[in-house]
Amino acid sequence: MKRRRIRNVVLLAGAIIALGGWSGRSQVDAASILRKGFDNWRSKTSESVVKMTIHRPDWVRSLTMRVWTEGHDKSLVRFTAPAKDAGNGTLTVSGRTWMYTPKLNQIVALPASAMSQSWMGSDFSNDDLSKTESLITDYRSRILSTESAGGHKVYIVEAIPKPAAPVVWGKQLVRVRDDGVFLEEVFYDQDMKAVRTMTTEKVGSIGGRAYPIEIRMAPNGKPGEWTSVETVEAKFDVPLPSYTFTKSNLQNPRG
Amino acid sequence: MRTWLSILTIALASALLVFSLSFQLSFYGAMKESSLRVTDGFAQVQPKGYQDDPDIRKTVGNANDLAARIARIPGIAAAPRGSAYAILANGPRSFGAEVLGIDPAPDSELTTLHAKLSAGRWLRAGDSGALVMGDALARNLGVSPGDKVSLVGSAADGSIAADGLVLVGEFHSGIGDLDRQVAEIPLARFQETFALGGKANVLLIGGRSLDAVDRALPDLRRIANQEGLEVKDWGELEPALKQAITLDFSTGMIWYVSLIAIVAFIVFNALLMAVLERTREFGMLLAVGMRSESIAKMLWLELCLLALVGNGAGILLGGSVAYYFERQGMTIGGLQGVFADWGLPSRLFIHVTPASLLAGPAAITGTIALAGGLLFARRVRRIDPAAAMGGR
Repeated sequence: MKRRRIRNVVLLAGAIIALGGWSGRSQVDAASILRKGFDNWRSKTSESVVKMTIHRPDWVRSLTMRVWTEGHDKSLVRFTAPAKDAGNGTLTVSGRTWMYTPKLNQIVALPASAMSQSWMGSDFSNDDLSKTESLITDYRSRILSTESAGGHKVYIVEAIPKPAAPVVWGKQLVRVRDDGVFLEEVFYDQDMKAVRTMTTEKVGSIGGRAYPIEIRMAPNGKPGEWTSVETVEAKFDVPLPSYTFTKSNLQNPRG
Repeated sequence: MRTWLSILTIALASALLVFSLSFQLSFYGAMKESSLRVTDGFAQVQPKGYQDDPDIRKTVGNANDLAARIARIPGIAAAPRGSAYAILANGPRSFGAEVLGIDPAPDSELTTLHAKLSAGRWLRAGDSGALVMGDALARNLGVSPGDKVSLVGSAADGSIAADGLVLVGEFHSGIGDLDRQVAEIPLARFQETFALGGKANVLLIGGRSLDAVDRALPDLRRIANQEGLEVKDWGELEPALKQAITLDFSTGMIWYVSLIAIVAFIVFNALLMAVLERTREFGMLLAVGMRSESIAKMLWLELCLLALVGNGAGILLGGSVAYYFERQGMTIGGLQGVFADWGLPSRLFIHVTPASLLAGPAAITGTIALAGGLLFARRVRRIDPAAAMGGR
């Protein structure tokens, strides 16, 4: 009887240690997997040419832009086509976003109320641009499961917002490959209803790495509405001048 | 004496109901009309799904033609309007705002925002790059009439809507959200800036009164259906207001029913005493051959007469007080903030209607007549003539 009790205690302690170890390892792994994904996506610096297509049931619109990024909190987007939008630009530094439009020849700071609004009429919001690494900094993540696809191990990561984190989503579910290529991101509202999905449509080699060349963001329940972003060319870890992410460069491009 | 006290009780309760109902219904009417008249209109013709997802690409084509067609309904007017979210900026200061594109002449017929001008002037026909905005928004942006304001938003074709405008006037509606977040520009400029062509996002519907527009809803819906559009009535435009009124009216009804029940019990008590005192008389009537049903009917008629006299006096008293405030209006100290939130004027004019005048007294009369009739019929049937005449 006594021996059996000791055995039960040992088993229980073992289970607790195992679960704790699994939980801790899971959290570390999930965060590092997401970090790997972001590093693969943007690296230390990046310079790319991107084509964005906004698709609606009754019209389609395509824009081309040049994008520069540095670290996780600096980005500059400058539109080059169509002619009507050429010269428009968006600068994001440390969560603050400014817009420039040649029509006004003026820089306008985006107020907080504008952050949830659509960016350039697409299915991306201004928040999507400014909070690129929010998934790592504002969420607690854990690996739900793994699967195999295309010769890669694919992690399914669940990210729940940290208490009081300044985020709009109730949950995000991410599918990411072991080489850091994001395959899918599902955004859930506060009622845990999936409201939009970002899917990688095409993975290819660009800038010397496996990369999600074409991604598509689509609001759920709105057939025929989506925005795709295709990376046409990209260079990573390139030296960028210090003036790149400044308002003066947003208004008067130097490079 | 007991009879007069019963009549007085009925009269006071009836007067209270007449005045309370007149005040309450007038207050609701004023809340609805004042609130809707500020910017919404009494109803709107909208593209399907616009109410839940007000996308600038959801439009009413040939808006002016459709407005003219709707205006052919007797007593109804319509005005096209554009609506978009945009950023308004003055140098480094920028704020998000709902920008409305209005046709100044017809819009001013249907809404009252133009009457709440606090600085500068309102938009005029022929204005192009002019802008009016709430005074709180102007204060936040640090602009006053004559200053330039930049507008940046998303146009209907997906391009950036950008415009430089001149602030010509500020309004103060007293409604915080409007004063902080709404700006209006001429519709033609709105259509150009937001790439809308000749389209609008909604048609505002107005008329002589909210009731007139409500009566025209079937015609409006028929026209809207033909164009693949839908009509939103006042309750759909202002669901919070509708819920507030429903909740308040439900609470009021509990109070009214309680009042009627108390009055009925007081009257029944008085009449029951009267019946007990007249038991010998009823016994004699039964003994000479009068049927108990006839005695109960006689008592019931007395009861109805009592209720009618009391209610008549109540209608006269309550109606007179309500009519006085219909002529003079009334102010309620301490509620100015609530009044301002709903766009109500500081002085409320009570409107006496047949419904407000008769509903309460009719309920009192009905309750007394029905319950009293049953009660006395039962009471009289149990009277034994011999015992009653013997005083037992």
